[in-house]
Amino acid sequence: MYGWIWRHLPGNAWMRALISLVMVLAVVYLLFQYVFPWAEPLLPFNDVTVDNGMAAVR
Amino acid sequence: MTTTTTGTTNPDGDGEGGGGGGGGSQPEGARPRSTAASVISVIGELLITAGLVLALFVVYSLWWTNVLADRHEAKESQQIRQQWDNQPPGTPARGLDTADGIGFLHVPAMGRNYEVLVKKGTSTKVLNEGVAGYYTKPTPSAMPWDTTGNFTLAAHRDGHGAKFHNINKIHTGDPIVFESKDTWYVYKVYKVLDQTSKYNVAVTDQVPKESGRTKPGRYITLTTCTPVYTSRYRYIVWGELVRTQKVDAQRTPPPELR
Repeated sequence: MYGWIWRHLPGNAWMRALISLVMVLAVVYLLFQYVFPWAEPLLPFNDVTVDNGMAAVR
Repeated sequence: MTTTTTGTTNPDGDGEGGGGGGGGSQPEGARPRSTAASVISVIGELLITAGLVLALFVVYSLWWTNVLADRHEAKESQQIRQQWDNQPPGTPARGLDTADGIGFLHVPAMGRNYEVLVKKGTSTKVLNEGVAGYYTKPTPSAMPWDTTGNFTLAAHRDGHGAKFHNINKIHTGDPIVFESKDTWYVYKVYKVLDQTSKYNVAVTDQVPKESGRTKPGRYITLTTCTPVYTSRYRYIVWGELVRTQKVDAQRTPPPELR
């Protein structure tokens, strides 16, 4: 998969490394900005209040 | 397909291309990679990717959310302090505009200069701003200036500012001070419950019987999750009002905070 991507990037090795780095950063940005904030409330790690056991109460 | 110019040669064509360095168009005569090998290699890469994403999620939860929340809280706190400073003396004392927060909680046991903004509500949205929220449901909190009642607060143990991370450092007898625009409310911790069910809403009752008190009084209750990094149980700290002190022009903190 990654090998395939690498082979299809243009330019020489340095160019490809640079493009790869940019792509990795873009993916990390998307994860931090959109995916993780969406996923976090769905995971049971950060409920700090007492409630009646109804999810709606949170 | 362009030919690679990487220095690293890949003697046998079915190398996994570890790190993407190998690859390249397959040299003449190299064994073509079998379909099974390709499938396995893709699965392997996906698993590695999943592992990295999970690791990033930990970084996000325990570090990045703190950065965001602390920044947000610091900005809001500053706004409120400015607002307090700019109000001419004699304006109705405490914030009727509760959207901006009602004051600051100081807990010396959680660190010198520890202070956290207190806002209305304990929804995820409010608490994720890196503040402590006072309960509006299931049992609405009393305000510190009410003649009796329980001032009940929640904040994150980890991530999103982690304002109650060190709640386990609070012990019986420690002071907790709430600062409103015009008054310092000095509470003293009288009971710590280090683990209770998350459904135990009785801890936020106006008279928290579980803490041993049976008469109406002016109480404060801090709640957060425990053990750290999980939400399995709740950690409760109860205090009661010892005295109040007017805020002077220099906002000199009460002796408990010095």
